[in-house]
Amino acid sequence: MTASIESQPLLQVEGVTLQYKTRQHLITATYRVDFNVLQSDRFVLLGPSGCGKSTLLKSIGGYLRPTEGEIRLKGRPVLKPGPDRMMVFQEFDQLLPWKTVVQNVMFPLRKTGRAKNDADARAKAMAYIEKVNLTKFADSYPHMLSGGMKQRVAIARGMAMEPDILLMDEPFAALDALTRVRMQDELLGLWDEVKFTVIFVTHSIDEAVKIGNRILLLSPHPGQVKAELNSVPRGESGSARGVELQRNIHDMLFADEAKEDDHV
Amino acid sequence: MSEVTSRPEIYREIMGAERFGIVQKPLTVFETLYNQGWLRKLFVLIVLAALWEFYARWLNNELLVPTFSATVQAMARGIASGLLILRALASIKVLLIGYATGVAVAAILTFVAVNTRIGTDFLETMTAMFNPLPAIALLPLAMIWFGLGVGSLVFVLVHSVLWAVALNTHAGFRGVSNTHRMVGQNYGLGGIRFAASILIPAAFPSILAGLKIGWAFAWRTLIAAELVFGATSGNGGLGWFIFEAKNQLEIPDVFAGLLTIILIGLFVENVIFRLIEALTVQRWGMQS
Repeated sequence: MTASIESQPLLQVEGVTLQYKTRQHLITATYRVDFNVLQSDRFVLLGPSGCGKSTLLKSIGGYLRPTEGEIRLKGRPVLKPGPDRMMVFQEFDQLLPWKTVVQNVMFPLRKTGRAKNDADARAKAMAYIEKVNLTKFADSYPHMLSGGMKQRVAIARGMAMEPDILLMDEPFAALDALTRVRMQDELLGLWDEVKFTVIFVTHSIDEAVKIGNRILLLSPHPGQVKAELNSVPRGESGSARGVELQRNIHDMLFADEAKEDDHV
Repeated sequence: MSEVTSRPEIYREIMGAERFGIVQKPLTVFETLYNQGWLRKLFVLIVLAALWEFYARWLNNELLVPTFSATVQAMARGIASGLLILRALASIKVLLIGYATGVAVAAILTFVAVNTRIGTDFLETMTAMFNPLPAIALLPLAMIWFGLGVGSLVFVLVHSVLWAVALNTHAGFRGVSNTHRMVGQNYGLGGIRFAASILIPAAFPSILAGLKIGWAFAWRTLIAAELVFGATSGNGGLGWFIFEAKNQLEIPDVFAGLLTIILIGLFVENVIFRLIEALTVQRWGMQS
């Protein structure tokens, strides 16, 4: 029984085409995208802006239904948003401003019944807040925190729920470069501790190589799978192999532009 | 290239803060006092009262403008006899009934409006039609329907509160950040739970603005309505107090009645609503 569960990927994305409407147009964001995410994967969706990676993540989150294809979590189709797939957004305003840090982390635990009472929820919330080094700020309101601290709270909130998958939509994109590097290291440190499954969207090649163990490369307009690569082992993103991988990815992503240039 | 590389690198020791004087210093007494909002407002009120006193003394006609001191004396008499308090309580009681009903109806209407499209259209059409209509214009109709009594007053009060509150609440709901909505959906919230735990707090600044406007509308509608017919079994409100005083040419009493209305208004705005703001939107950093 356990063998069958383990052999089945945690998340299956099969032939997913995503379309959305603006006022004037029907836009195809991704076209027939396939990939599988295994337990404890650090799965990176990488591509230039406009490749539909965020849209793809939203549809895994259940905010958007595929026009074609299917997304299955543990074999069950994803139909609507739910706490088994916690999102960490790029925006700093994802924390509820009317709740303190610890209340923000407790709130979904209570609302979804994952914690039986406030004391349980608080204990669990504090444990994860400690993991992201914000114990001192547990009773602060979000508007008193810096951008990096808000993102840490969002990560703690996502992890405290112990979802099947943590979905991260360019969570460090709005941070300054120094904070971003620190947050990347902290995220990897957390992963070493908990071994959670995460899908991480980014447009930065070195972030993808550093964070991911598996990288899905998407082409732009509409997003199609260009490659699915294994990343270098943890902590070797700066090594010769890591740099070479970065260069390969770079070449693949910019191959289209080079071809277009040839035609001119 | 060689010029750039030949420039020496510089390293320095950091000085301790105690070596260069002031890093942090308390404000002067005047600055501290001036930072207190209520003190500044009190100052404005004192200046206004002084201007009133001087003008009334210069005019010297108690039937047109009694002095501030005469008004305060009339008020003290009214409070001592208990009549003014009785009248004020009667007004506040009717006001609270009407206000609460109006807010409750507004809550139901906006809840339907955020969940269904036809509800939105209904709310938008109704507010467009009835918000510009002065509530007091409905009083003659209300008197025919509900008679001379609390019923008619509550009816016009609900009308005056409902549209202002509903309009602001609905605008606030529509302005809730998309990220907050997605966060709520992520937790699997829906319907009333979603409205109660995400929409209402997120839209609270506009809801509060609506409640304030509704409160002011309710007050003026009530006093105006009471001026038309205050006496319900000898138990009228402040409007009736003013009307009676005018009939007996007790002009300081008229002013005392007006002053009571103003004082209650100031209290509600500066104490009750300010307290709600301090505990909610200011604490949450949604309003400075």
